[in-house]
Amino acid sequence: MKRNIIILSILSLSVASCDKKIELFPYQSVAEEIALTSDANVKKVLNGAYDGISDGDLYGGNILLFSELLAANDEIRWEGTFNQPDEIWQKAMITTNSFVRDTWLDAYDAINRANNVLSAINIVATADQNRVKGEALFIRACMYFELVKLYAKPYSAGSVTTNLGVPLILTPTRGIDESSKVPRSTVEQTFTQILADFNEAESLLPAINPGPVPANIATQSRFVYATKAAAAAMLSRVYLQMENYPAARDAADRAISSATANGRSLASSYAGAFNTLAPAFPVPTPSISTEYIYSMTVSSLDGANNMHLYWSIPAYGGRDGDVSIQPSHLALYDPSDARLAMFYTGAGDVRSGKWQQQYRVLPIIRLAEMYLTRAEANFRAGTAIGATPLDDYNRTHQRAGLTAAVAVTLADILLERKLELAHEGHAIADVKRLKLSVDGFAYNANELVFPIPQREVDAAGLIQNPGY
Amino acid sequence: MRKTAGLMLTVFLLSVQMVWAQNKTVIGKVTDGKDGSPIPGASVTVKGSRSGTTSGSDGTFSLSVPEKSTALIISALGFESQEITITGSTVEVSLKAGATQSLDEVVVVGYGGKIKKDLTGNIARIKGAEVANTPVTNFTQAIQGRAAGVFVEANNGKVGEGVKVRIRGGGSLTAGNDPLYVVDGIPINTDGLSGNALADLNFNDIETFDILKDASAASIYGSRAAGGVVIITTKKGRAGKTNLGVNFQYGTNKPTGYRKFLDARQYVDLLREAAINSDIIEGVDPLDPAQYPGSWLQFAENRLTRYSGYSDWRNLETNTDWQKLAFNDKATTKMVDITASGGNDKTRFYISGGFNDVDGILILNNFQRISSRFNLEHDASNKVKIGINLGVSRTVGNRNNLDNAFQTPMQLVALAPITPVRDLNGVLYNTPTTTYYNGLIETENSTYKSTTFRNIGNVFLAYKFTKDLAFRTEFGADIQSQNDVLFRGFRTLTGLSTNGYGQSDWFRNFTYNTNNYFTYTKTIAEKHDIDATLGMSYQKFAQDFSSVYGEDFPVEDLQTLASAGRITGGTTTKTESAIVSYFGRANYKFNNKYLFSASVRADGSSKFGKNNRYGIFPAVSAGWILSEESFLSSSKLISFLKIRGSYGINGNDQIGNFSQLGLFGAGKYNNQSGLVPTQLPNPDLAWEKNKQLDIGLDFGLWGNRISGEIDYYVRNTEDLLYSVPVPGTSGFTTQLVNIGSMQNKGIEFVLNSTNIKSRGFTWTSSFNLAKNANKITKLDGDQTIIPGNDGRYLNSLLVGEAIGVFYGPKFAGADPANGDALYYLADGKTTTNDYNDAASFIVGNPNPDWIGGLTNTFNYKGIELSVLFQGVFGNQIQNGGGGFMSASFDWFDNQTADQLDRWQNPGDITQVPQLRLGYGNGINASSRYVEDGGYVRLKNVTLAYNIPSSILSKLKIRSARIYATGVNLATFTDYTGWDPEVNTDYRAGNRNQGSDFYAAPQIKSLTFGINLGF
Repeated sequence: MKRNIIILSILSLSVASCDKKIELFPYQSVAEEIALTSDANVKKVLNGAYDGISDGDLYGGNILLFSELLAANDEIRWEGTFNQPDEIWQKAMITTNSFVRDTWLDAYDAINRANNVLSAINIVATADQNRVKGEALFIRACMYFELVKLYAKPYSAGSVTTNLGVPLILTPTRGIDESSKVPRSTVEQTFTQILADFNEAESLLPAINPGPVPANIATQSRFVYATKAAAAAMLSRVYLQMENYPAARDAADRAISSATANGRSLASSYAGAFNTLAPAFPVPTPSISTEYIYSMTVSSLDGANNMHLYWSIPAYGGRDGDVSIQPSHLALYDPSDARLAMFYTGAGDVRSGKWQQQYRVLPIIRLAEMYLTRAEANFRAGTAIGATPLDDYNRTHQRAGLTAAVAVTLADILLERKLELAHEGHAIADVKRLKLSVDGFAYNANELVFPIPQREVDAAGLIQNPGY
Repeated sequence: MRKTAGLMLTVFLLSVQMVWAQNKTVIGKVTDGKDGSPIPGASVTVKGSRSGTTSGSDGTFSLSVPEKSTALIISALGFESQEITITGSTVEVSLKAGATQSLDEVVVVGYGGKIKKDLTGNIARIKGAEVANTPVTNFTQAIQGRAAGVFVEANNGKVGEGVKVRIRGGGSLTAGNDPLYVVDGIPINTDGLSGNALADLNFNDIETFDILKDASAASIYGSRAAGGVVIITTKKGRAGKTNLGVNFQYGTNKPTGYRKFLDARQYVDLLREAAINSDIIEGVDPLDPAQYPGSWLQFAENRLTRYSGYSDWRNLETNTDWQKLAFNDKATTKMVDITASGGNDKTRFYISGGFNDVDGILILNNFQRISSRFNLEHDASNKVKIGINLGVSRTVGNRNNLDNAFQTPMQLVALAPITPVRDLNGVLYNTPTTTYYNGLIETENSTYKSTTFRNIGNVFLAYKFTKDLAFRTEFGADIQSQNDVLFRGFRTLTGLSTNGYGQSDWFRNFTYNTNNYFTYTKTIAEKHDIDATLGMSYQKFAQDFSSVYGEDFPVEDLQTLASAGRITGGTTTKTESAIVSYFGRANYKFNNKYLFSASVRADGSSKFGKNNRYGIFPAVSAGWILSEESFLSSSKLISFLKIRGSYGINGNDQIGNFSQLGLFGAGKYNNQSGLVPTQLPNPDLAWEKNKQLDIGLDFGLWGNRISGEIDYYVRNTEDLLYSVPVPGTSGFTTQLVNIGSMQNKGIEFVLNSTNIKSRGFTWTSSFNLAKNANKITKLDGDQTIIPGNDGRYLNSLLVGEAIGVFYGPKFAGADPANGDALYYLADGKTTTNDYNDAASFIVGNPNPDWIGGLTNTFNYKGIELSVLFQGVFGNQIQNGGGGFMSASFDWFDNQTADQLDRWQNPGDITQVPQLRLGYGNGINASSRYVEDGGYVRLKNVTLAYNIPSSILSKLKIRSARIYATGVNLATFTDYTGWDPEVNTDYRAGNRNQGSDFYAAPQIKSLTFGINLGF
């Protein structure tokens, strides 16, 4: 008995001495080394990069919201309880504003995901290499473009080789050391990188991107992935910022050609261009608006729609109706304009109907924008590439239920653009390139530029923007 | 005469009780040597055996003792123990007054016990009896103020929720700072889906809490001891007659404080004033009808009309006190406990059943616990002992949302007093009539219920090889299964657009643990006492989580997801960690005077990097009992004196699992899975090391009538686990590394005294006071400041300062000239009205300097009065809600009454800037919203009466005690918020402390109870 007990007790002391007992692995994650080792895995990382840019802080809504709040000009009002957007609306941001911080952080997170894909592009099946590379470049360029628009002086302010842009990171992060503290590039260098990425993406991307979705999904529902048209459309936006109208015109024209040749067209009604449903897998309903060149998918299972969150009202699952539309904006429309009818009254104020419904696809690039960009750029250059400015103008003008114009001025085109694209995240970009002023601030005012998040100044030693 | 009656009662009771044939019965009575009054609750044990009993309320006892037994040992709190030779079948014992805390008491150390007199470390003991029947849900709240250097702070007054416990301050920035909780030898899990996993324990089942504070006491728990260790020992049975006990308790709960808000008239007047001020800034005279359209005043008056619902704000038709509606004015506490304990020489048992039903003071808040315990010990032979300790419970919490949610009842205070609660059809108003979501809608067809089944138990076998050498093996399991069910009705914030929202989350924790160790004790040549412990333990944690949610319900009565029209999501996750440990300890005592102790523990953990998977945690200590020396042994004044010192290293492993690995996790886009980088690798990740020096003095004066302890400690944390902010351009925000260091330094005093002891009247006091100074000594080596100002809160990290100090703009009041909010520039003198230009200062510290408690207990002829005052001193609180509720009417939130002191005319000197609607005049985080948070609180008052046995004998009742207990009856503080004990739940953490944000005040309760023994 006694001997047995001794043996037992000694055994029990040594029972767990094995290293294996404490060698455990996670169930929800895989090791870095595994993630980038196969064609399938790299494509999953690419889908992760799309996930990155669809975040609520980015194309999931906030990038669009910020643009509108900065350019509010008393046409919209921030009424919500959150201080952070309120500061943006008031043009009185503090450097620790958490919304300002999170958009920065999430954009660079998405960039790192894209850089991971680019670093492993040789592992991708040869047939798909161009497409995958094009998508990753597109995602990276989109983020740098959005960052430079928010966190740097506009290109139109000049001094582009001295004004600071944003840090350019082109390789994936594997560890942190002194070299991780990358300083800000100039505005010019940032734009150069963006142009290079978008140009290469346009050349590599297919006209229709099959994406990783099942074969029975309608082509129409695949415009939530980057395409040749999307890259060209983004290029047209970049050139507009640089006031390079011929290049913007050509890029817009290429976007239109590619999109219309592949089934894209203006929705028959203005309202039909918004609040459209993502296909509910596995039911392959083609329901994304035909006019989206590029959009963010949102469903009850996936994606964020912060435009809905802040612009809609509790009756439709929004917050308290944080953004209201002011009479000065409504006064810009012709009373018979169908776009005016999109506004509705709810939760005590006027609201934008574009963002009324939850779980609806978020348009990032609509075909309508390309027509209006082409119209403006053709008009400025006195050309008629693709179509005459008048024809392009009338496309949206007539769809809104208004009589076709017989002649247009630049002011007409710019107003049409403002109304057609109202509250879709274009406002501050247009204010800055057109050198307008909003709420008493000139287009190049310090107050219309976000501060570099304080944490980046602290952690990476970045130079703060003037005025902060 | 009375004495005889007592003895007769005892004999009577004996006659109805089964007695072991081979035993004899001893009956007796324990009295106070000074005045002959009976001593209830004295412990009576047979010498050389574990069997024993306690004296009843009249001091009598009866005990079945083995025939061969020769002596009894009788001890009682506040008296010196006495050994009595058994000469017949009756004994009379009179005890001499002694120390209020016995030095001969055995306190529990890790993997063993030790006589308090011989301790070389610092262990604070709280007896279960001291806190029994305290009407709080969590034992950590019951021990608040009772042990030196143990800081306890409930986040808010919601029942069953988070409580911060810090032993000698917090030592870590990123890792946990909680103590390790060990129940009957098994470290338990403190995680959960929601609520507080420690509230699953019924603390009426607890015999003792032993709080291991210094390194030498705690180091036997190695890598997990950095935050101190709380060893909980549950009640065990004693041989003797079976004692049955029943306790009933009932009472009411109220908030400790209210905050004053504007009434309807003030709301209308001040809001209009704010709007007019904003117009004037913009050059508009809104009182001119031509300029009125588009003015701020028009905007405000439109809102007033909207917020008034059916009523008219112009004649102040409605004046709603929304704050009152947040509270449940019928909140009660109901508790029932039933216990039985007893046994014989071979087998002893304790069983209990408990029921608690406590309403929170907030509407919708309730906590229920049904618990049961079964503890059994059996001597299989004189060498083998086996046993089981098993506690099972079911806890149900009806919960409130976090403090920052619109749904939480406290946010009702933001609503306008001019808004009626219901419309004319009796339907609750909601936005846009209410300023924000009306949280009262949650009371209709909403459920947020958390149900936990908890099973904490262990089985053990102890074997005595020889009289010196023993072995003990224990296997314990902590099984926790929790289900949170959420249903939001059709009118709720979440359920409105989706026709109802339902969610069901399941969490399961399975922790198992085995301890196996040898102990050896030997006295050599009567002068050398040696004891040693050597063993190992292994513990594994496995947690599973699953969640499913859906929306669109046919009717509100159908709340389970089976009825959901759409299942909108679901997930499952799991995680594990494991730790394997080897430990050893040796104690040596020479001549009863000189004490030495050394221990070491080696831990291997799954949580750390390849290169640092194992850690060694040694400790040494020594003590010298001066009172045993000849020069003091005859002192009349000094009855006990010991100096002791310890130094040791322990570790902190309270970080997430797998923090050392470079990882890609799941992402999702367009309903297709993806992979995303989530974490950078750190193969060097290691334990945070806590190096602690403790020097202490234990003393007893006048026969230990006064006794106490003084301790000084320095606790340095090195290789601090810290999520260092990295450049966000890397795609990551932080990386967990071992960097930086922190210090906690402090002093603790404990004083116990018997002040008066005469003619049946005793007055004893127990006092503790502790100062802790926390200081960050190094961050990542480059940065000395990690500012935390996020516009609402200021908790920051600064080298040389305490963790989480408020660092930000210093508010300079309203500009007397124009009412602008002013802040100081760096020189501390000149001011600016531009918040971005304001310099940052340390404007407060959420960590208290001093904490303390004072218990006075009075006994007079069966009447007991116990009064505990508890205090916290030198800390500040920041009201994060200030930017809404005390915001110079920046928006439509109802304002606190202090905003009446606003700047109105040039020359006004005030701390409240001019009211300006929409202009954010001074609403960002600054010292404007920082206040002193120190307080003294009448924590616990218990008045009890033990009914004399002369009355009870007729009712066949052994003992009866009726009592009333008040908790938090009075609070003395300068804090103007609801309650100074606050740490808003949605952001409570190591750094984020001392913040208030619509946090519920603590609970003031008054309960009445009766405790019967049979």
